[in-house]
Amino acid sequence: MDEPTPQPLFLDGPRGRLFAVLYGGDGPAALWLPPFGEEMNRSRRMAALLGRRMAAAGGALLVLDPFGTGDSEGETTQARWADWRADAVHALGWLRARRLDARAVIGLRLGAVLALEAARAAAVPRAVLWQPVVRGRRYLQQVLRIRMAAALAHGDRGGADSVTALRQRLAAGEILEIGGHPMTPEMATDIEALDLGAAGSAFAGRIDWLAVGEAPVVAPRLLGDWRDGRLVTVDGPSFWSTEETTTAPALLSATAALLTETVVA
Amino acid sequence: MSSTLTRADAAADPVFQRLRALLTDVLQLGERGAHLTPETELLGALPEFDSMAVASVVAGIEDSFDLIVEDDDLDAETFRSVGTLWRFVADRLAEA
Repeated sequence: MDEPTPQPLFLDGPRGRLFAVLYGGDGPAALWLPPFGEEMNRSRRMAALLGRRMAAAGGALLVLDPFGTGDSEGETTQARWADWRADAVHALGWLRARRLDARAVIGLRLGAVLALEAARAAAVPRAVLWQPVVRGRRYLQQVLRIRMAAALAHGDRGGADSVTALRQRLAAGEILEIGGHPMTPEMATDIEALDLGAAGSAFAGRIDWLAVGEAPVVAPRLLGDWRDGRLVTVDGPSFWSTEETTTAPALLSATAALLTETVVA
Repeated sequence: MSSTLTRADAAADPVFQRLRALLTDVLQLGERGAHLTPETELLGALPEFDSMAVASVVAGIEDSFDLIVEDDDLDAETFRSVGTLWRFVADRLAEA
């Protein structure tokens, strides 16, 4: 049987039209949520590969561009975290309206926290976390530090504000450009508030944490606090951060195996 | 932790192993990662070790070991070698 063709489509999201690609179209379905900024671009291939794997296994995957990102309507500078959560919930509703059984929300990095929140809000039974961000505040610090380093690397000493100075600029209402993507003070505030542990504790369903490379030392403790949390570690490159396109086939296999478990159950 | 960091110490130490795996991934060293020892020099010696690499390695350390590294904690000496970086991580873990 030929591999089904992925369907690009637009959803009428809460704040504007949302671009999404549907892989497959029958059976148990999942929603895939991207990471923020440049990580989103660098993980597109893996999302597409996951979609094809799921379609080939008789399921479906909806890969969503939240408002203000990718090919969806809106500017990145207009988006808030709550908008993205609402977009994800809307996308899950869309799947259900198509009589697809939305069984899981999958998210990468910041998208993993979003996946937990969306799964809870839409009463989806499972969340699958690809290399989740654990603390939003620390993630923001890292993003600002990398921006500072990039400015230094380009010999732009004048632009290489310290992380403290960058935070002050955000606090003063300035939009910062980070790796080609704008970050507003409002989004920075939203990101700083994110906490994986709390999001997981608020979710009653099953959580699968997929770590690429060694799982962080904090993983077992967080998982222990959650109602039904499990850890899988796979080998592979940090594809969301490498400059050249890389893939982690083991992550695809592990995810497909987890989700086809659902089919059998 | 002893003041002299030996290869034997490294081989037995889970922090070193975790740090080595992290450096291998972040710097995309591939097979070369297996050959990192405490003596391996980083800043100024390894071509991959530029300011972006420093930022990425620090992020990797924070996430893997669940630490927060303030910019004031860092100086060039920290990144002189794998051994100095290992000591930095171990010291931070002891404080945490």
